Amino acid sequence: METAFILAVVGLTSLGVAPLARRRARRGLRSAAARALETIGLGVVFLFLNVAVGFCLALIARLVVRGFVSLYLNDDVTIVALSALQALIVQWWREPEAR
Amino acid sequence: MSGGGALRAIGATGLALFAALAFTPLPNLIHGVVVPPAPPLEPAAAIVVLGAGADGDVLTNDSLRRALGGVALFRRGLAPRLVMLGPGREPSEAAVRVRLAEDLGVPAAALLADSRGLTTRDEARVSWEDLAPRGGRKVLLVTGSQHMLRAAALFRRVGFEVVPAPVDDVPSGAQRPQARLELARALFRELLARAYNRVAGYL
Repeated sequence: METAFILAVVGLTSLGVAPLARRRARRGLRSAAARALETIGLGVVFLFLNVAVGFCLALIARLVVRGFVSLYLNDDVTIVALSALQALIVQWWREPEAR
Repeated sequence: MSGGGALRAIGATGLALFAALAFTPLPNLIHGVVVPPAPPLEPAAAIVVLGAGADGDVLTNDSLRRALGGVALFRRGLAPRLVMLGPGREPSEAAVRVRLAEDLGVPAAALLADSRGLTTRDEARVSWEDLAPRGGRKVLLVTGSQHMLRAAALFRRVGFEVVPAPVDDVPSGAQRPQARLELARALFRELLARAYNRVAGYL
C-alpha cells in the first residue's frame, strides 16, 4: 500500500512536470536518462570510496592514536548525501559550459 | 566499455538495487536467511544488555529498546542479575540504563553497569571479568536480532554459555520503503562487521 502510494505520487508529479520540462528541453529524454544514470553511477562510486577510505582511516586511527574510533561512523547517512553532492559536482564539471 | 558506459552500468545497477531494497520484500527475505530464529528463552545467571549508543544522557532508540528488553526479562524472573553495558563520558550509556532500570523497579542490588566495552568483543571480555568470578557463566544476551549471531559467537569465545534474547532494533517484517531501507542498511552493516571480525580472527 505504502509502496504503491509513493510510486503513484512520484508518477503523477513526473507526468505533470513533463510537458513543462519538454518546452525548455535542450536534449532528448533518453540522453537525459543516460546522464542521470551516469550521475547515479558516480554517486555509487563516491559512496564506495568514502566508506572504504573511512573504514581504513578508522582502523589506522585505532593503531596510531591508540584511541577508539568506531567503524560505525562510516554508517552515517550524511555520507550518502555528501557522495551524491560529490557526484553532482563532478558530473556538471564534465558537462560542456551552458550558454 | 567507455567511462560513461561503465558509470551508466553502475548507476543502473545501483538504481535497480535501490528499487529492489525499498519497494520489494528483498530485505525481509535476506533477514530470514542471515538471521537465524531465536531459540526459546531459558533461565540464566545474568542478563547482559549490549550497548547501542547514547547522546549525553539520552539513549538512542536501539539502546532504549535493548535496555527495556533486559528489564522485561528480569521482571519475568529469568535471571537474578541485570548487566547494562555501554560506554560514554559520564553519565555513560550503562549508567543511564541502570538509572532507567531502577526507575522501572529493578532493585539496585541486582544491577551492574560496565562502561568499559567499546566494541562487541570488548563487551564480551568485560562481561566475563564482571560475571565469571560470581559464577555467572550462563547469560541471556540482549542485543539486536541482526547483531545477535556475531555477538553470541564472541561471548561464547570468552567462555559464556549464551541464551540469545534478541530485540528487533529494526523490524524484520518492515513494509514501508523507508523501513525496508533501514533493515537493508542494518543487514549490510552487520554482514560487513562479520566479515571484518572473521578477517581479524575474532570469530
